[in-house]
Amino acid sequence: MGHTDANRVRALDGVRVVELSIAIAAPSVARTLAFHGAEVLKIEARSNPDVARLFGSAWARVPEFLEVFTDTSPYVPEMSAGKLSVGLELKHPEALAALHRIIATADVFITNYSTPAVRGLGLGYDEMRAIKPDIVYVALPGFGSDESLPYYPFLAWGPNQAPLVGMDELTGYADQEPAGVASIAPPDYLAGKHGMLAVLTALEHRESSGEGVFVDLSQFETTVSLLGPFIYDYELTGNVVGRDGNRDPRQAPQGCYPCTGDDRWVALSITDDAAWTAFAAVCGEAWAADGRFTTLAGRVAAHDELDGLIGTWTARHDAAELAAWLQEAGVAAHPVLDHAGLLGDDQIRAREWYAVRGGGRFELDLFGREPLRLTETPGDVDRAGPSMGQDTRDVLARVAGLGDAEIDAMIDSGAAFAETAPGRVLQRPYHRYIDVITRVDRGGRA
Amino acid sequence: MSTTKRPMEGVRILDLAGISGANGTRLLAALGAEVIVAEPPTGHTMRSWAPFVPGGSAPEGSLWWAYFAQGKKSVVVADLDELRALAATCDVVVEDAGVGVLDEVAASMGPEVVWISVTPFGRTGPRAHWKGSELVGWASSGLLHTFGFPDRPPVMPATPIQFGQHVLALDVALSAQLALRVRRRTGRGQRVDLSLQEALLFVGPETGAPLFLDDLVPRSRPGNRRAVSRPFGLYPCADGFVSVVVLQPAHWRAMAEWIRDVTGEDSLLEEAFFDIAVRWEAAEFVDAMTEAVTTSMNKLDLFIEGQRRGIPITPVNTVADLRNDPHLEAAGFWRSHEVHGTDGVVGPGAPFRVSADWWSFSRAPLLGEHTDVVLGPLRG
Repeated sequence: MGHTDANRVRALDGVRVVELSIAIAAPSVARTLAFHGAEVLKIEARSNPDVARLFGSAWARVPEFLEVFTDTSPYVPEMSAGKLSVGLELKHPEALAALHRIIATADVFITNYSTPAVRGLGLGYDEMRAIKPDIVYVALPGFGSDESLPYYPFLAWGPNQAPLVGMDELTGYADQEPAGVASIAPPDYLAGKHGMLAVLTALEHRESSGEGVFVDLSQFETTVSLLGPFIYDYELTGNVVGRDGNRDPRQAPQGCYPCTGDDRWVALSITDDAAWTAFAAVCGEAWAADGRFTTLAGRVAAHDELDGLIGTWTARHDAAELAAWLQEAGVAAHPVLDHAGLLGDDQIRAREWYAVRGGGRFELDLFGREPLRLTETPGDVDRAGPSMGQDTRDVLARVAGLGDAEIDAMIDSGAAFAETAPGRVLQRPYHRYIDVITRVDRGGRA
Repeated sequence: MSTTKRPMEGVRILDLAGISGANGTRLLAALGAEVIVAEPPTGHTMRSWAPFVPGGSAPEGSLWWAYFAQGKKSVVVADLDELRALAATCDVVVEDAGVGVLDEVAASMGPEVVWISVTPFGRTGPRAHWKGSELVGWASSGLLHTFGFPDRPPVMPATPIQFGQHVLALDVALSAQLALRVRRRTGRGQRVDLSLQEALLFVGPETGAPLFLDDLVPRSRPGNRRAVSRPFGLYPCADGFVSVVVLQPAHWRAMAEWIRDVTGEDSLLEEAFFDIAVRWEAAEFVDAMTEAVTTSMNKLDLFIEGQRRGIPITPVNTVADLRNDPHLEAAGFWRSHEVHGTDGVVGPGAPFRVSADWWSFSRAPLLGEHTDVVLGPLRG
């Protein structure tokens, strides 16, 4: 592993990013930037903590952990691995002045605070540009930054965005109300990917023009931009696309079928006629040889019937074994993994998706890596999520150029804060078993 | 600004992928890259995907192609040698042919080429050769397990959209940009190894292993209302559904007042109901009262009135609702596109706004439209 190699090259070496944000969309952009070598300074306030910190951890809701509660959420490493945490209360003029000094050295500013909130803090694009003319400024408020638009002041809460942008209506079975996707917030991550596209494109733009840009990114628009074919269809024919479970008119049958055990399923996609032939051979049941099923049209027409027949067969088998048999024959299949299944998954382990690092509040912490696998210059981070304010002194001295006495004064006045209980290092509940559970390389400065 | 170089101008990309790369290369083309799709003589797979223009069919009728091939060039190559020669003129090659299929071509490239391989499970590991699909991707990410009703099989999000493939396609664009940035410094390209499994693992920290190990709370599919508090989830209205997510005390006060105003029932304003656990205990009553409000109006009126009251509420929109949405209309989001020879078809505009002149979307190419102009110089 190259993460301790001083000679390693990462794509964003030398890029400094300032992040002022909450929860998912903007933090996920900066997280990826950090993996690829950017120095990400996450500006945090005790008066307005990131929601990801407020979740804390269930076991930490006792007095013993009160002083470190906001460092305990497992979302902290997931959303902020590799970032530096800088504690600044921006309503204090000295804190804002320090942030301005930081901005003067930065390449990128990312925020998903509401537009009135950033403007109220004096951190709008015009103010930023006055400090750093070529700053790349990426704003990701829920409904965009244009105050003339109807939904500009509306509340954008993670689970509420997927329904708005059309995802919930298209999720579930045709004969039932929509199932929705409230267990995660896909539009947040999609907005994050587009935010990353904005940052990387803006760095190219700056390279050739010498100019920065202002990017106004609304989750509403990024997700609706995926609906092109269905918007055209509605325009041209009036057809309104609906939900149809797991079915795909281009490959049938497709679905989740029950297996042995409690709530165990195998996901199966018959991607073409050859895959059906292979499936029928593995299955070996008499019905699988029915000539009606040799064509896509025949299988689509008989999808309900096939679902029943396949489910009766799969219910006698273990999901993982069945998927392996089918894949051996060239059929796309996979057990429907739950959380425990992810940990046992051979592929996830072999590719070391999960990373274990220390360096923050925990002796060792666990988080997912990042999918942009550049094989020669892989992304990686040395540290898990920072404790809140862990890097305040370092950044105020090294980046803002303040002296120790100035920093002490800021901390005394409440304009800045360092981490609570320095030196108090915690262990996750599963700490003793972390290597057994993950079998991953530990690496870093742990 | 119009004289400024477009941000991805000068980058030549060979696109050999299907839907797994399509939206990513579309965005790079819109940002100024030259994107060349090499198609078989019968056309790219997406050309055969419904829906089609009225009366249309493959290869020049698919609305998937019309949208996701915007701004690209199309060539039909004669053979593998010509493909190799074309690839060698490109900065970036994107392919999803499967592990090993194009390795020989990849190995013949100069060291400056960025070669992006997109597969279901990645190029390494015991499942590298496993077959995939959108559904298999969601199953392998731990996410599928969390969607759907408890008494029905798990169901993937927004099946018709192919959402997972679009997330993966964004990764194609991002990794191309990162690798080109490295190349500017080192002079060297590299192999990029993307998988649908990992693209979707990235989307799922909420249901992932680190959270589960920490709190040991299983997160299985709850139906369309989450087992956290109430109101939390989808509620029927006069013309469909709305989504209501009330957790914060101020949001609950506004919701309880709305219930009182519509039904006359004021007991929910009592102190006890400000506790999310109490509302979960009384879920049946809170849901019934919430539905008394939601079923009295249509989704857009509920959205606007609820938000005016400070309640996190949104409509469960269809494509028709979105096309008629007042905010998207006022924002000038929609653009007029040429779709298989018909001008003026309305479609989505750029995914985000920028203060510089970046975006330029143009129509999708005809099959082989650019064969002569692109391959001519190579054929001599």
